[in-house]
Amino acid sequence: MTNRERFIKTLKCEPIGGQVPTFELVFFLTMEAFGKVHPSQRYYSQWNQMSYAEKSLHMNEMAQLYIDTAKKYGHSAIFVHPNPGDLEHIQWLLELIREKSGNEYFIMMHGDPTWGIPDGQTMMDFSIQMYEEPEKLNEESAKRVENALETARKLDERGHLLDGFALCSDYCFNVNPFFSEDAFDELIVPYLKEVIAEYRKMGYYSIKHTDGNIMPILKQMADCKPDAIHSLDPQGGVSLPEVRKIVGPDIALAGNVNCGLLQTGTDEECRTDVLRSLREGMENGRGYIFCTSNCAYTGLQLNRYEMMIEIWKEYGNYDRMKF
Amino acid sequence: MGILLEISENLQRGKAKNVKELVQQAVDEQIPAEEILEKGLLAGMNIVGEKFKNNQVFVPEVLMAARAMNVGAALLKPLLAQGDNVSKGKVCIGTVKGDLHDIGKNLVKMMMEGKGLEVIDLGTDVPAQTYVETAIKENCQIICCSALLTTTMPVMGEVVRAAEKAGIRDQVKIMVGGAPVTESFCQQIGADVYTSDAASAADAAVELCKAAC
Repeated sequence: MTNRERFIKTLKCEPIGGQVPTFELVFFLTMEAFGKVHPSQRYYSQWNQMSYAEKSLHMNEMAQLYIDTAKKYGHSAIFVHPNPGDLEHIQWLLELIREKSGNEYFIMMHGDPTWGIPDGQTMMDFSIQMYEEPEKLNEESAKRVENALETARKLDERGHLLDGFALCSDYCFNVNPFFSEDAFDELIVPYLKEVIAEYRKMGYYSIKHTDGNIMPILKQMADCKPDAIHSLDPQGGVSLPEVRKIVGPDIALAGNVNCGLLQTGTDEECRTDVLRSLREGMENGRGYIFCTSNCAYTGLQLNRYEMMIEIWKEYGNYDRMKF
Repeated sequence: MGILLEISENLQRGKAKNVKELVQQAVDEQIPAEEILEKGLLAGMNIVGEKFKNNQVFVPEVLMAARAMNVGAALLKPLLAQGDNVSKGKVCIGTVKGDLHDIGKNLVKMMMEGKGLEVIDLGTDVPAQTYVETAIKENCQIICCSALLTTTMPVMGEVVRAAEKAGIRDQVKIMVGGAPVTESFCQQIGADVYTSDAASAADAAVELCKAAC
């Protein structure tokens, strides 16, 4: 099986045997690992002035960097952050990655039209609208869903090189969700459900990500039927076995390695946490994707991430479970 | 239902317009401004804070209540200024240097104001020295530091050291919070109080200010 096939079978919660799939929403540490700036951190101020040849060199280099990252760390999936991010360049990047690596990797990108936690500057206005003009927010949501689906359709028509979308609107703080259950039902659920269903009809998989304490809204998220739920943030008190009890065995679970601890903990604390996450994730024998509870973020020590991957190589194998 | 209770209940529901009208009515009825503030507005915010801690209400409800509180408090401010009313304490708050996240900081500020504390907002990306200089200049009892990034958390330790160096460590309490911050980190850097949510931070700040008086 290719990495892509293993990843897809895992999203379908089918048993795969062998190594548990891994990936990261973003692996920002490309400068340390490869001496190259991560594509999402680049600013091409003169992109439109470049010759095709120059653009092509940049595009090829970015595509190769994604592949090299996946190869080096055993990732089964590549999350692309197309830069530039218009449809033409998204398609170009996908074509290059497929040309260079065939169908070896599952490829995904952002695609969440639902509201997330607003920033500090807009939070008050957003909250007022939630209570005084929810219909306006919902009108905007409907437009955002249509735009997301339009992009998905166009990529589908152009060869369907993308496998899925990561829906990355954050809904939760560490302590509790931003949205109450009622607000979540009114403002998020209909649109999350719709976008996931429509993506599925087009043959795309959906991984729903959110940081924080998701437990109060987890059932509602699960009822929207994503293929996987990502992050399972221990900093938000989220426990993998508890999540499994609520969402059942048919939604894959991804994440749960405490990425804050990777930065601040001792080697031993990190090792213990990684092993715990592997043990709890692999318990069902299927439907588990090993990764951090957010991403390999800027500022994380590369050696800590590499330590996590070494532990995964040793213990993250269904055929030789050591727990 | 007494008018103060009505103020409290409308505030809890985030009904800013109603709160404004009721506060004005209470003022017209000659109820002392301090009483309207304490038994109407602050009483309502206290209940919101408790419900927030118990996951019975969430951030948007807190923000709506805070908006209603501010509308009511604005009407009372000139009246309170005439009397001997003093704030329950003074806090300077900010997100530490290198960190631009302001959601948690803003929530804590709002909850603290809802408890009757005076809060000086230093914004985001705040150098350690700025906290200390502000605390000295404004005579703050509390410095409150927020960080969302593990990479910026160490600046909180710099704030503690800057306060020591400036000779004010025994006059000011240092509170820390933010997604990656923990109780053990708080102890490790020598800060005074860690809280995991905005409502608890406001409660702790009130207690610290009481103890400082």
